[in-house]
Amino acid sequence: MFSLFLRQKILMLRNSFTLGGLMRRLPFILLGAGLWLLLYFGTCRVLSFLRVTGTFGEILSEKLLSLVLSGVAVFLLISTVITSLSSFYLSRDIPFLRARPVETGDILKLKSFESVLLSSWTAALFTMPVFVAYGASYRAPALYYAVSSLSFLLLILIAGGMGMTAAHLLTRVFPAKRSREFLLGLGLLLFLVFYFAIKSSLPEGYASPQEFLKTFTLFKTDAPLFPGYWVTKTLLPAIKGRTPDVLYMTLLFGGSALFLFTADVAGRRLYCRNVEKIGPSWDGRGPLPERSYPRPGVAVFFKDIRVFFRDTGQWPQIFIIGALVAVYIYNFKSMPLRALMGLYPFAKEVLVIVNLFMAGLVLTAMAARFLFTSVSFEGRAFWVIRSAPLSLRRFLWSKFLYGFVPLTAIVTVLVSVTNYLLKVDGPILLLSEGTALLLSVSVSGLGAGLGAVFPKFEYENIASVAVGMGAMTFMLIALGLVTVTLSAGAWGYYTYAAKIRAGGFHTAESIPIALCLLFVLLINAAAFYLPMRVGIKKLRTMQF
Amino acid sequence: MIIIDGVSKSFNGFHAVKDFSLAVGPGEIFGLVGPNGAGKTTTIKMMTGLLSPDKGKILLVNHDIVREPTKAKSVLGYVPDKAFLYEKLTLKEFMFFVSAIHNVSRSGALSRIESLFDTFGIRDMEDELIEGLSRGLRQRLVFCAALVHDPKVLLIDEPFTGLDAFGVRTLGEIMGRLSLKGVSVLLATHSLHLAEDLCHRIGFIRGGTLVSINEKEEIKGMEGGLEGLFMRLGR
Repeated sequence: MFSLFLRQKILMLRNSFTLGGLMRRLPFILLGAGLWLLLYFGTCRVLSFLRVTGTFGEILSEKLLSLVLSGVAVFLLISTVITSLSSFYLSRDIPFLRARPVETGDILKLKSFESVLLSSWTAALFTMPVFVAYGASYRAPALYYAVSSLSFLLLILIAGGMGMTAAHLLTRVFPAKRSREFLLGLGLLLFLVFYFAIKSSLPEGYASPQEFLKTFTLFKTDAPLFPGYWVTKTLLPAIKGRTPDVLYMTLLFGGSALFLFTADVAGRRLYCRNVEKIGPSWDGRGPLPERSYPRPGVAVFFKDIRVFFRDTGQWPQIFIIGALVAVYIYNFKSMPLRALMGLYPFAKEVLVIVNLFMAGLVLTAMAARFLFTSVSFEGRAFWVIRSAPLSLRRFLWSKFLYGFVPLTAIVTVLVSVTNYLLKVDGPILLLSEGTALLLSVSVSGLGAGLGAVFPKFEYENIASVAVGMGAMTFMLIALGLVTVTLSAGAWGYYTYAAKIRAGGFHTAESIPIALCLLFVLLINAAAFYLPMRVGIKKLRTMQF
Repeated sequence: MIIIDGVSKSFNGFHAVKDFSLAVGPGEIFGLVGPNGAGKTTTIKMMTGLLSPDKGKILLVNHDIVREPTKAKSVLGYVPDKAFLYEKLTLKEFMFFVSAIHNVSRSGALSRIESLFDTFGIRDMEDELIEGLSRGLRQRLVFCAALVHDPKVLLIDEPFTGLDAFGVRTLGEIMGRLSLKGVSVLLATHSLHLAEDLCHRIGFIRGGTLVSINEKEEIKGMEGGLEGLFMRLGR
């Protein structure tokens, strides 16, 4: 039976390989290939830098390998738990499989295979260049490549066994969907902790390469109970052409057998009961108070807010944005401003522009995800809106407000905090805050408007709408708008500041600057107004 | 009052509805029957404004659905064949939302929602999420949403899908009451015996064209009733 299921999966995979599909995926394939090469050459470069320092360098290269494998092991574990929750409990084929004369053991085997494969292929693909780079750097024998492949496979099986066991146990206690979103958040939190821990343990500037190496050796990577460490200890002799340590190989084989066994036992004992209890969960809502009856003008807005926060599928994106903003602000905090100011007199102003551009990127990405998708967010329930006596102008304005308010708040906080960290004041502060607000309005209008021009009401996941052709069109126009606005604003400010620094600014000289500001206002007004207008027209004539 | 005057609609050269004309008076329950793909849903969708006719005119209580969509929709209640809803809202939240976008006053909406929930037997679950409802309970909720603003015209596409005996009976009673209040009801269905029981007149549609309209009594006198007529005209 298992081979029958496997054959069906292979057929599905084969049927999905079409020329059109390949062309659509081509940018991602090229991006992946680029990342693979970057990892390979990056690792080679780091190893050549580390290993010139003799024994000390060998210790460092071992530590680096151990660090990479520890990270990969944690990634594999979290990834398997998340994938197992989806595969075993949330996958659409579960009701079909359970309604057929199929043994639970066969379903468990199929889902285990699926979970392990789906959760580990990216890790395997992108750990490969690191292994190959180590092999090339040490001129390792063929044995090393065989041992590294085998030990990594065993690491995948250990993480897979642990992850599947955890998924069954978690679903016993919490609803599967909640567990998956919680783990995604936890994964991001771990990444942030890891990122800030490394950043804070490294000094901001190094007096010499030796200082960097000394700091790096302080990282403790020995963890005898951790499977990532067992792989490191297995690989190190093999890379130098020696026989791998039997103890660690035994631990890897034994560990994978043990955890696959626990996953099987947990599955056989818990799976049927867990699947039966899957369903909508009570999440502590009380009776709806009568005062929450919305006014007609804001009914769509409040409905969207409610649906957004109840849809746990939206939460990972919020976590990701939170993580990006934290990393963004932290990097500005650690910027060597004083040194830069000594090098170039307009350094602070340039940084303000760079900061605004980065904020513009964040704004565009968030608008693509939350504003561009806001009309499509109605999904197949759009008939409720279209058959109601609701003006589509009001409907689209509600969508604009739904995204504009939080986006403007985030961008304003981002720009204000970074301005504070850069110690920006005077006219450039006002200009920077004003530009951020202006861009928030225009990019939000552009997003809501183009979202209405290119709506997609049938989708599996709303996030997929944000990566379609319409969303790409929006991103390109929005980035163009940000670039033109900032370039024009920067030119105006530079002309003004240069004259002031040169000793005087005459009223007549303000005309080109005023024209420049007028141009900025006009293109932003057009970017807001035109897509909203076309969007309303498109919604009016749409056949649903 | 519903007036459909010479309406046509085609998709990529395929005529889904051809020169369709019909008038449904106040208080009348009109049944639209016909084989799959005959054009029933397309006709109803044009009447709701979800599709726009290629030619012809549709008036709902004297409001043109194309020229005065907001006015026409404010007198219209609609129950689609596949009712997708906002899964993450509770029943009461959904009803609040629908009432608000139909400009129903708060006090009016509250009493109306309570009464409709009682009638359709879903009061106990008003604070549950819609995602947890069965197909039949969803259908009951969709009826509540279609009636919350006291429509003058009710368009129903396959009303009995998923409803249990209680739901079907309740719906029949409600349609009777709406008819007495002067509401024009147009329902498209495959449930021939129910259509025969509930409707005052029944129209048969085939290939996008209305091929016959018969009075209830007329159909009862025919050999095999509505089913017999369906078999003869449906070929």
